[in-house]
Amino acid sequence: MQETRHQFREDLKELERQVLGGLDLVIQQLDRALESVSYQDVELAGMVVADDDRIDGRYLEVHQGILSLLARQAPVAGDLRIVAALLHVIRCIERMGDQCVNIAKLVPLSGYESPKDKDILDAIERMGQLARSQVSQAKEALASRNVELSQDLVRQDAEINALNRKIFRRAVEVGDEIDMREWGMFMILVARCLERIGDNTVDIAEQVVFVVTGLFREMADASSPGEHARSR
Amino acid sequence: MIPPETNIEEPTRMSTPGGPPEQAQEAPDLSALGVKEGAGHAVSVKGLHAYYGEQHALKGIDLEFPANEVTALIGPSGCGKSTMVRCINRMHEEIPGARAEGSVTLDDVDVYGDGVDVTSVRRMIGMVFQKPNPFPTMSIFDNVAAGLRLTGTKSDNLRERVHKALRAVGLWGEVKNRLSEAGTGLSGGQQQRLCIARTVAVEPEVILMDEPCSALDPIATLRVEELIDELKGRYTIVIVTHNMQQAARVADSTVFMLGGEVVEHAPTNDVFTNPKDERTERYVTGKFG
Amino acid sequence: MTVTALPEISARRRRTDKVMRGVLLVGTVIALVPLGLILYYLLYKGLGTWNSSFFTTDPNGNFFGNHGGIRSAIFGTLEIVGFATVISVPAGIGVALFLTEYGKNSRFANVVRYFVDVMTGVPSIVFGLFIYISLVISHIGGGFTAWKGALAVSLLMLPIVIRSSEVVLLLVPTSLREAALALGAPRWRVITRVVLPTSLSGLITGSLLAVARGMGETAPLLFTVSSAFVLTGNLSSQMNTLPVQIFTDIKSPEPAITARAWGAGLTLVTLVLIINVIARLIARRSRMA
Repeated sequence: MQETRHQFREDLKELERQVLGGLDLVIQQLDRALESVSYQDVELAGMVVADDDRIDGRYLEVHQGILSLLARQAPVAGDLRIVAALLHVIRCIERMGDQCVNIAKLVPLSGYESPKDKDILDAIERMGQLARSQVSQAKEALASRNVELSQDLVRQDAEINALNRKIFRRAVEVGDEIDMREWGMFMILVARCLERIGDNTVDIAEQVVFVVTGLFREMADASSPGEHARSR
Repeated sequence: MIPPETNIEEPTRMSTPGGPPEQAQEAPDLSALGVKEGAGHAVSVKGLHAYYGEQHALKGIDLEFPANEVTALIGPSGCGKSTMVRCINRMHEEIPGARAEGSVTLDDVDVYGDGVDVTSVRRMIGMVFQKPNPFPTMSIFDNVAAGLRLTGTKSDNLRERVHKALRAVGLWGEVKNRLSEAGTGLSGGQQQRLCIARTVAVEPEVILMDEPCSALDPIATLRVEELIDELKGRYTIVIVTHNMQQAARVADSTVFMLGGEVVEHAPTNDVFTNPKDERTERYVTGKFG
Repeated sequence: MTVTALPEISARRRRTDKVMRGVLLVGTVIALVPLGLILYYLLYKGLGTWNSSFFTTDPNGNFFGNHGGIRSAIFGTLEIVGFATVISVPAGIGVALFLTEYGKNSRFANVVRYFVDVMTGVPSIVFGLFIYISLVISHIGGGFTAWKGALAVSLLMLPIVIRSSEVVLLLVPTSLREAALALGAPRWRVITRVVLPTSLSGLITGSLLAVARGMGETAPLLFTVSSAFVLTGNLSSQMNTLPVQIFTDIKSPEPAITARAWGAGLTLVTLVLIINVIARLIARRSRMA
């Protein structure tokens, strides 16, 4: 015999699948954006910009699906929390997609034969790896409703924030010469985009904890130290 | 979540009849009743057991129904919620072979106490049933007055009390010109409000409602729910419902019952966003019923 | 898209239907034929005797000459049956009320019901004999008297009243009783103010049918009232009744007297018919209300 509200459960699972798929899209975009920065690949950068439409489309799909589910099925309790979380997460996905586009747009601007600073490049690469792993871990945490993984994301995010500050200082240091200065500033912008991506994964982590516990706790990150729990 | 500084105002009500006759929604006017705001009384249930012959229907219920609040009882069929409310006004014992043990106190008086007159208990604890049941041989006026007449209450201002009760449930405008017509000539929703007026005319302290909207169409249901919202200002209300959305809309706190026991009793908001008990979660999300 | 054709009704089915209808029709006609014959005979033989003196003069016992009418018989029947009604209807409704409101399914109530059923089957002559042996022979309060006849007739009406009243009372929805009880009414008031008014027309109908039955019984009257010629209102004396009048007259060799018997028979049937019509009108009026 079918479980009760079979169609509803199916619809809800499908929405979740779409959101998780959105996170996959973000990882894809991020990989390509980082590659285009490393190799100054303008063409690849252009693809990233164009493909953002897919993420935007995914956002609209999920948004519409959630509205429809709320109207038709009146979810409550755990179901309601997951629906609210999915709405929040798909927004984070859309923002992360935009950050990838921002990174990609910076590639042609930063020039072909710019002077490069190894420290900054290493830091950017490291930030990229972290950001990628954070998005991946956020996806895992959401799919498996894992609170420990979510809380671990905060720790990783601290590292990304530290790297961001490091790049900033380094760019100031090596910014005597105008070409270097210009390149340095573009790198600062790239770093900032990556840092934003990290913040978004922390947001997703907060949503996962909310779904599981019913409590909303803002997790400590570099921008707002200290935790305060709010039950919603 | 509302920030503490916000000034919460009473939503403005639509005006009483004067507007387009068919659609005019008359606002229930409880000030006419003369029962003070916040005058409700709390009901406390302790160690309640109820039996139908050998069948043990309620297994040790402990519940508090706070004054001037609406408490909803939800749960699958046979969980004992109807039995529960019928024990509060001692209607349970009217069923042959049924009995109840334990204590149900209205303020500080145990309605199951020795020597307590059952009819006086029921005068203080009114009840509205699932199927509207106006007395067929009586007119609208007589139906509302029935409570007073049947209990032998001497009343020199009977007419006034009937009119006030009709106003209190928002029926006045619709029936004021046909008070002598049969009560059964009204629509389902109107009949149910008539029954509520009949209950309210006796001026009880608590109103019990056993699935009051099950037999009504959606618009009539919403009007009764709005009435409940008004009534709680002056009475304590307990409502049994199998419609969870209704409990969510109407109740301040919700009790989930299963197999004759209370599983969870919490503010409605918590029950429907973050229930503590796994069984409550499964029931409200429709995983079983 | 093609529309699936529904299979046509087979010829055999059609034939079976027709045969069935025919058989039932024939059966009905056969059952109605005796009734028709009776009515025809009554009218044929009795209508001729109906004239003003038939209804305004008493039988005078003469064998020759003017034999008189049946005035005393008509009044006697009405008086005796009236008295019987006054005894049996309140008692019968009372027993029915006990069975539905208090006894319900208890052992005692079921025993009572059983005996009432038995009583409906008792031949009316037995009631007459019972009164004869207990009251007439022992000369309590006189020999043959009208009131003893009334008693016998009431005994035979009683189970009919109880049975039909119980059916009607059971038809009153439990929800109405519950509504009245929940308002805090004591049980007796629930009965007098809600149950009885709601079932009133049904109770009247049932009682009238018992009356119609009582009017036509000869045997109980023979042993208790005997007969008389003169018109009298005195219940302690012997009184004339239609059934007894017919019984005596039909045996007479004088054709005019036998004709009078037919006329009396027609009168009796007409009275019963009128009562039945009144009962139906009451029933219909209550349904339309």
